[in-house]
Amino acid sequence: MTNALKNKLIDNAFKVFGIICTLFGLVILGILIFNIAEVGLTRIDWNFITSLPSRKAEKAGIYTALMGTVWILFLTAIIAFPIGVGAGIYLEEYGKKSKWANFLEINISNLAGVPSIIYGLLGLEIFVRAFNMGGSILAGSFTLALLILPIIIVSTREALKAVPSSIKDASVALGASKWQTIWNQTLPASIGGVLTGVILAISRAIGETAPLIVVGALAYVPFAPSSPMDEFTVMPIQIFNWVSRPQHEFAVNAAAAIIILLLITFMMNGVAVYYRNKWQKKIKW
Amino acid sequence: MVWRFIIETNGRKKLNGKMQVLEKQQIMTGSQKLIEEKKTIIEARDVNVFYGHFQALKGINLTIKENSVTAFIGPSGCGKSTFLRCFNRMNDYIDEFCLDGEILIDNNKIYWNKIVVEELRKEVGMVFQKPNPFPKTIFENVAYGLKIHGIKDKTYIEEQVVKSLKDVALWDEVKDDLKKSALALSGGQQQRLCIARTLAVEPKIILMDEPTSALDPISTAKIEELLFDLKQKYTIVIVTHNMQQAARISDKTAFFYMGDLIEYDDTKTIFTNPKQEKTQNYITGRFG
Amino acid sequence: MLETKNTKLMTHLDSELKQIKQQVIEMMTLVRNQLAKGKNAVLTFDKDLVHEINANEKRVNAMELSIDRAIENTLALYTPVAVDLRFVMASFKISADLERIGDNAVGIAKYINHVNEQLTAAELDKIKFVEMYENALLMLEDVFEAFEKEDTKLAREVFVKDKVLNKINLNAASITIQFIQQTPDKINNYLYLLSIIRKLERVGDLAKNIAEELIFYIEAKVLKHHKKK
Repeated sequence: MTNALKNKLIDNAFKVFGIICTLFGLVILGILIFNIAEVGLTRIDWNFITSLPSRKAEKAGIYTALMGTVWILFLTAIIAFPIGVGAGIYLEEYGKKSKWANFLEINISNLAGVPSIIYGLLGLEIFVRAFNMGGSILAGSFTLALLILPIIIVSTREALKAVPSSIKDASVALGASKWQTIWNQTLPASIGGVLTGVILAISRAIGETAPLIVVGALAYVPFAPSSPMDEFTVMPIQIFNWVSRPQHEFAVNAAAAIIILLLITFMMNGVAVYYRNKWQKKIKW
Repeated sequence: MVWRFIIETNGRKKLNGKMQVLEKQQIMTGSQKLIEEKKTIIEARDVNVFYGHFQALKGINLTIKENSVTAFIGPSGCGKSTFLRCFNRMNDYIDEFCLDGEILIDNNKIYWNKIVVEELRKEVGMVFQKPNPFPKTIFENVAYGLKIHGIKDKTYIEEQVVKSLKDVALWDEVKDDLKKSALALSGGQQQRLCIARTLAVEPKIILMDEPTSALDPISTAKIEELLFDLKQKYTIVIVTHNMQQAARISDKTAFFYMGDLIEYDDTKTIFTNPKQEKTQNYITGRFG
Repeated sequence: MLETKNTKLMTHLDSELKQIKQQVIEMMTLVRNQLAKGKNAVLTFDKDLVHEINANEKRVNAMELSIDRAIENTLALYTPVAVDLRFVMASFKISADLERIGDNAVGIAKYINHVNEQLTAAELDKIKFVEMYENALLMLEDVFEAFEKEDTKLAREVFVKDKVLNKINLNAASITIQFIQQTPDKINNYLYLLSIIRKLERVGDLAKNIAEELIFYIEAKVLKHHKKK
């Protein structure tokens, strides 16, 4: 056959292959969700959400874990956002010429790949013991903040890099100082990318179990936290706890909790996508 | 007075008596006379520019008078853009940039550490090759320069914005909606917006680095007309690859080649009877 | 156009300019021949030559138009500058001058149709007819060669020869009056002879113009309306 026909065949073959790969992931996810939903959907009701955990499966609820997750997310965000974005701005805009720049860049990417439990051990030593925070939400937040910091730094840098240098040139040529350029032009233009990165980083933080366990999140906390210094538990830990129990009812509870957790994750990702699209439209280069 | 410039520029052959006699006989046109009486606003003394070991400019000596349009022409890589960017110190951001010699703007040395670069750039504005409006509204674009220099008076800012937009003949096209995004304008309008943005801070000198090379012929013509008007109040230095453009709009032209200033003279002379063979070869298209 | 060191690339403009130069040289050759034939026609009273000259006149005019058109195109399409522009401007004027020389050649030859007898050799000698004609032809040859070779030194020699023509022209009137007084019934011939002398002086002026255009194009010196060096 002719070259053109052969190329067309390969073209179509690849298209089919791509569709199969995509479907593969979606199908597996679909099966997972369906499975979970089948088991746990019926268990979800207002009671479930507002009850404290208990030894009796019917009475047990996710209130503490849910509150714990919310508290942790909130504090982690407050800690990680300014530090991460600030570090990202510094490294991208100011630190480039120093000898450390290269060294720092490699190491920050490395940090993103460090197993989360190591962060847990680090958090235990520094925040729980040395800073004397105990097994509190604050310690957990700081630990998680450390964990997601590299992600925020990298995504901030990428977002800043994506701002065309012509904009920076124009600002500088008008007599703006470096900070004025960053604050007035570069940062507003890249805010979409920065926020997307932050939200995605936090979505990851939701699912972290190991470091929080090391830091001291307990498996059985029969009260909702009311201050950052309180002891706490989070959804993944609660799920893990229920899954390890022999009774089938707890498995149902776990399934229900998973659904709630998934819902939160999907919602956060949805928000990220929504805002990314919104800001993308405003800034068409 | 004409031949004094010629002696001052770098790389010129020594004039013989005959040439000088001839030039005396040439009738000086009205505009030429006016240029002689204006003061010097940009002066380059023995300027050498290095990027690391590479020498981009060799011993450039040049003076530019107020309220004139000067064109820099020459083949790619000859150093004309580099030289232009020396006047507002935009080259500072390039690694291993090093300048030897002196550049004076309005009789003040600009390459020494007592200079506040941001103040310099208020006096010396720049328009770039590709229109680069900020991703903000039209109003915010023009007002930006005023804002960063600390001007807070809202009425004044508004007046300046309107005045600048009128000066670039863009006012009628955008006056109905200043809150529209600048990126929604056409290429020619965007470039005029960038010029308005530069004018808003009332500089003395406007540097233009191939400002119309990315635009269609009609936008180009509009901007060239604009330059004739702007010349009354500002000093303009324009780098251009388009020789017809240089011939149309400039009073004086400087021809650069491989880092040397080959010839710097009245545009009329450069295009009817250049004194250097290299200049003639370039403008007739025989090389470059 | 002046030869450049970079002869590898011949641009479109270069070949256009070369063509214009070729056409001007062709026109020069034709016009010179017209004038030479005119001389022979007067000396030998050959009416056939007159026919030839008249016929070729159309060719001369057509050539001028063709050169004009080529120049117009070059200006519009290539916007030449500096030496190229001066070449084109000079060629434009030179072609007009050549057309006028052609007209003069035709006028000289037509004289034969208006008289019935030749002039004597002695008369022609007295008024220095041959010397003047030879000089005029030499001037044309000089300036045409100068154009082809771009030799301004040769062009300047034309100015010297023009003085000879002017001198002969100055004396021509008085000599003609003498002729008329001596032989009144040949007054027609004598008047036509005088007008041929005037036409030759005019040819000399036109040759001088061509030399001035040439010097302008090559040296960018404007010699018009100045005292010649």
